[in-house]
Amino acid sequence: MAPLTLEQRDRRTAWMLLLPAVLLLLLVFAYPIGRAFWLSLFTKNLGTELQAVFSGFTNYGRLIGDGRFWQSFWATIVFTTSAVILELLLGLGIALVLNQKFFGRDVVRTIAILPWALPTALIGLAWAWIFNDQFGVVNDILLRLGLIRNGINWLGEPALAMVALVFADVWKTTPFISILLLAGLQSISPDLYEAYSIEGASPWQSFRRITLPLLMPQILIALLFRFAQSFGIFDLVAVMTGGGPGGATEVVSLYIYSTVMRYLDFGYGAALVVVTFSLLVIAVAIVSFLLSRSSHTKHSGAA
Amino acid sequence: MTTISNSQPIATSQPSRHKPKMTWRSILLPIAVVLVALFCLAPVLWQLQTSFKVNQDISAVPTVYFPTRYTLSHYIELFTRRPFWRYILNSAFVSITSTALSLAIGAPAAYALARLRPRGEKIVMAGILIVTLFPGILVFLGLLEIVQVLHLGNNYLSLIIPYTAINLPLTILVLRSFFQQLPKDLEDAARVDGYTIVQMLTHIVLPMTLPALVTTGILTFIFAWNEFIFALTFITREDLKTIPVAAAQLGGSSAFEIPFGPIAAATVLGTLPLVLLVLFFQRKIVQGLTAGAVKG
Amino acid sequence: MHDLHLHLLRHRRSLQRWGLFFGVFLGVILTSLLVMAQQPVTLNLLMTAPDAQPWKQGLIRDFETQNPRIRINIIEGPNATNLLEDLYTSAFILGDSPYDLINMDVIWTAKFASAGWLLDLTDRVSPEELQAFSPKDVEGGRYNDRLYRMPIRSDAGMLYYRKDLLQEAGLQPPETFADLIRISKTLQEKDAAQWGYIWQGRQYEGLVAMFIEVLEGFGGFWVNPDTLDVGLDRPEALQAIAFLKDTVKEGVSPPGVTTYQEEETRRLFQGGQAVFLRSWPYVWPLANQEGSPVKGKIAIQSMVHAPGQTGGSCLGGWGLGIAKSSRHPKEAWTAIQFFTSREAQKRFILNAGYVPSRRELFTDPEIVAKYGHYPQLLEVVDQAVLRPPIAQYAQVSDILQRYLSATLTHRLSPEQAMQSAAAETRRLLESGKQAA
Repeated sequence: MAPLTLEQRDRRTAWMLLLPAVLLLLLVFAYPIGRAFWLSLFTKNLGTELQAVFSGFTNYGRLIGDGRFWQSFWATIVFTTSAVILELLLGLGIALVLNQKFFGRDVVRTIAILPWALPTALIGLAWAWIFNDQFGVVNDILLRLGLIRNGINWLGEPALAMVALVFADVWKTTPFISILLLAGLQSISPDLYEAYSIEGASPWQSFRRITLPLLMPQILIALLFRFAQSFGIFDLVAVMTGGGPGGATEVVSLYIYSTVMRYLDFGYGAALVVVTFSLLVIAVAIVSFLLSRSSHTKHSGAA
Repeated sequence: MTTISNSQPIATSQPSRHKPKMTWRSILLPIAVVLVALFCLAPVLWQLQTSFKVNQDISAVPTVYFPTRYTLSHYIELFTRRPFWRYILNSAFVSITSTALSLAIGAPAAYALARLRPRGEKIVMAGILIVTLFPGILVFLGLLEIVQVLHLGNNYLSLIIPYTAINLPLTILVLRSFFQQLPKDLEDAARVDGYTIVQMLTHIVLPMTLPALVTTGILTFIFAWNEFIFALTFITREDLKTIPVAAAQLGGSSAFEIPFGPIAAATVLGTLPLVLLVLFFQRKIVQGLTAGAVKG
Repeated sequence: MHDLHLHLLRHRRSLQRWGLFFGVFLGVILTSLLVMAQQPVTLNLLMTAPDAQPWKQGLIRDFETQNPRIRINIIEGPNATNLLEDLYTSAFILGDSPYDLINMDVIWTAKFASAGWLLDLTDRVSPEELQAFSPKDVEGGRYNDRLYRMPIRSDAGMLYYRKDLLQEAGLQPPETFADLIRISKTLQEKDAAQWGYIWQGRQYEGLVAMFIEVLEGFGGFWVNPDTLDVGLDRPEALQAIAFLKDTVKEGVSPPGVTTYQEEETRRLFQGGQAVFLRSWPYVWPLANQEGSPVKGKIAIQSMVHAPGQTGGSCLGGWGLGIAKSSRHPKEAWTAIQFFTSREAQKRFILNAGYVPSRRELFTDPEIVAKYGHYPQLLEVVDQAVLRPPIAQYAQVSDILQRYLSATLTHRLSPEQAMQSAAAETRRLLESGKQAA
C-alpha cells in the first residue's frame, strides 16, 4: 500500500474534522425535510388512527382547495413584504445616523442592537401589552394627542392586528439590518465622497451615486436573511395574536404547527412543509440571483 | 474581505466634513440620534416600569406614566407561585451546553473549510449557507418524529441537539472567516515541527482565536436562549421549561384576567442576561454578525 | 507459598467485601420495593386552574380519606380549555404523558381515543350503570362503540330570558325563532331593554356550539358521525344562518355580537340590557348574585326552534378517562368510580354548584332546595345535541368557525360560505375514510 501523500492525509483529516458537523446538520435539517417529502404522500391523521396510509398526491389536492392555507399564505406574504421593506428603510436610516460622528456614539450603538438580542417571545409579550386595547400605552398616547376618541382594539381587528405585528417585528429586527448596513457604510472609502463633493455634488447625489450602489451587496444579503426569517415567523405571532382574530394573522408556520400539534394531521402537515419549503427556495434563488448579478455589476462598475 | 470593526475612525467618511454651511445637520442629527435611542429603548423601559407598578396603576385609565408607588410583588409572585429559578436554570443549561457543543463541533469543521480544502468543500459550504435560511417550522415535524422514536421528549437533549445544529452554520461561517485571517506561517512552522493537524488546532490555532470563539459563543448563546418553537413542542413538563415558553404561557394561564405585572416581570428577568451580554460585548456581537453574514 | 496464601487471604477478604456489598445492595432494593408497595399510589390529574380549588377541597379530600393508599395529585393547567387540550396533545405526542386520569371536555374524546391514548372502559362498566347518566353524556364518551370517558359534569347551552319583562308585557316565553324576534322587537320598542337577543358570534368554539343549536332547531345537521355525511350546504344550514343574520339586521342583536364570547354576552345580559341570552349554566349563579341588576328576574328554557322541529341544546361538560400510558389503571378506575358515584357527586354539587352528570341528582330534593332551577335544567339537558363525536372534530370545527364567521361578518355570502365549508369538510373526512 502506497503511503498517503501529505495532501491526501490532509484531506482525510479535513473530513474527520468536518464529519460531526455534517452529520448533525444532516440529522437536524436534511432528514426532516426529506422525511416531509416522503410523508406528504401518505395520509396519517386521526381519521386513519395515526397510521400512515399511502395516498399519493391527495394531500396536495386538499391543499389547493384549502381556503385556510391560502389565507395564511397571503397573511405571510403581507407580513413579510411590509415588515422587510420597512425594516430596510428604517435600518438604512439608522445605519446612516450611526455612521455619523456624535457624542456618545458607542452608547447609542449599543442601544441600537439591543432589540435584536432580546427573546422574540418575551418581546411579543411586551408589545401585546403596549397594544392592549384597554390599558395599552399606544391607545393612551393616541387619546392624549386627540387623534382618536375611543381606544382602538389593536389586536382584535384583523387589519390592525397585522399592523401591530409588523410594527413589533420591525422594532425587533431592524437592528440586524442596521448592523449589516453600518458595516457596509464603514467599508466605503471616504476618498470617493471627497472626490465627488469636489465636483460639487449634493449629499443626496453622493448618497444615490456612491452609498447606495456600493451598499447593494449588504442590502441584498440583509434582504435575503430577513425574508427567509420573517417568512417562517412563529414566536412573535404565536405570542402576540395566536393567529387571531379569526385567523387574520395566521401565518403559514402557525398553520403548519396547528395542523401537526393540534389536528395531528401529519401527512397534510408534511405537504404544507413541502410547499412552504419550495416557495422559500424559489424566493431565495431569485434573491441570490439578484445578489450575484449586483455584485457582478458592482465589480465591473468599480473596475 | 476583512472583518469590519466598528471601532475604526468614521469621521473621515463624512462627506460633509468640510462644509460648515450645512447647519441643518447639527439640528437634525441630535434629533435623529435621540429618536433612534428612544425607538430602541422605549418598549423595554416600559415593560421594566410595568413590572414594578402596583396592579391598580397597571390597569389605570388614563395610563400612569410616573407612578408614586413601586412594588416587587410581581417578581415575588413569579418565584413563589412558579418554579422560576428552574426556568432560568433550564434556559442557562440548555444554552450553555449547546453553545459549547456547537463550538466544539463547529471549530474543527471551520478550520477544515478554511485551510484544508477537503473534497466537496463547495457543496458543504453551499449546504451551510442554505441551512442558515431555514425557519425552524420546516424541520420541526421531522424532529418531532425523531424525538418520539428516541423517547427524547421532556429531555434536555431534545433541545440541545437542535440548538447545536441550528447554531452550527453561523459558528462555522464566523470561525472560518477568522481562521482565514490568521497568518499561515505559524501553522507551516508547526507542521515542520511535526504537529498533527489536530494538535495544531488545539495547541496553536484555537488559543490564538480565543476572542473569535467568545464572539461566536455569545451569538450562539443568544440564539439558544431565545429559541421558542422547539422548546414549546418538545418540553411539556413544568420543571424543564425554558424562560421564553414559560413566560409566554403565563398569559395563557388565565382566560379572563391577564396577569400583566408578572408577565412584565418575567420579560425583564428573561431579557436581563441578554441585556448584560449586549452591554458588555456590543463590539463582539457586531463583529460576529457582520463576519457571519457578510462572509456568507 | 507464603505469597500465595496471602494472596488468597486478600482475595477472600475482597470476596467478603463484595458479598457484603451485594447483600446490602439487595437489602436496600428489597426494602425499597416493600416500602414502595406499601406507599400510596399517586395519580396525576390535570385541570384548569379555577377548577382545581373546588376539586381539591371537595372530591379529592373525600376520596383520599376513603382510599388512603391512593393519592391524587392535581396539576393546575392553563385556564383556557383549548390550551388544556393542546397541553394534553403535546404530552401524549411526546409519548410520556405524565397524566393518569384524563379530565376531558366532551369534544376531545374521539380525538384522544382515535389517537390511541385512552384505555377502553367498555368492559368495566355495565349498561345498567350507564343508564343513570344522561344518554347524550354517555354517547359523548364513546368512539367506535367503545366507551372511553365517564361523564362527571354536564353542561348544556340554553336560552335565558327576563321573565319580569315578559310578564309585564303579558307575553309568553318564545317557542320559535320568529317568536324570539317578535318578542324582542316588542320589548325593544317599549324601551324595556336596549337589545333583544344576545349570542356568541366570535370565531371560536363557542360559535359552533351556538350554531348547532340553531341548526338543530331548523332540523339540519352538521356531520353525521356514522356515515360522515356533511349537511352544511343543505337548506337548513342556510336557514340557520339567515336567522342569525336577521337578528342583527332587525336590530334585535347588537352588530358587535360577531365579536362576542360568553363573558361579553353575560355582562350585557346581567347589566339588564337584553331580554334574551343564549349561554351556559354558569351564568345563572352570577346573574342571581347580590347586586346583580337582574337578580331573581330571569328564567331558563331550552333553545327555540322552527315550527314542527324541536329545540337543540349543545352538550358540553367534562368526563374522566384513563391514559393508556398510566401505570396505575386499577387505582385510576377506583377513582373514577368514586367521582361518578351518587354520593360523591351530590356532595360536590352542593358545595361547588356544578351541573351533575347523573340524571337523578337534578331532581334530588336537597339539591333542588339549593338550586331551584335544576329540574328545568334537566329538561334542557334532555334535549342535548352532540357536536359530532368524530376523530377529526377539532379540524372540522375550525373549518365551520372560519366560514360561519366570514358570512356573519358579510365577507362571504351564506351560500358561498357553506358550500366551501362543506367541500373542505368532505375532502378532509374523505382523506381519512379512503385510507381507512
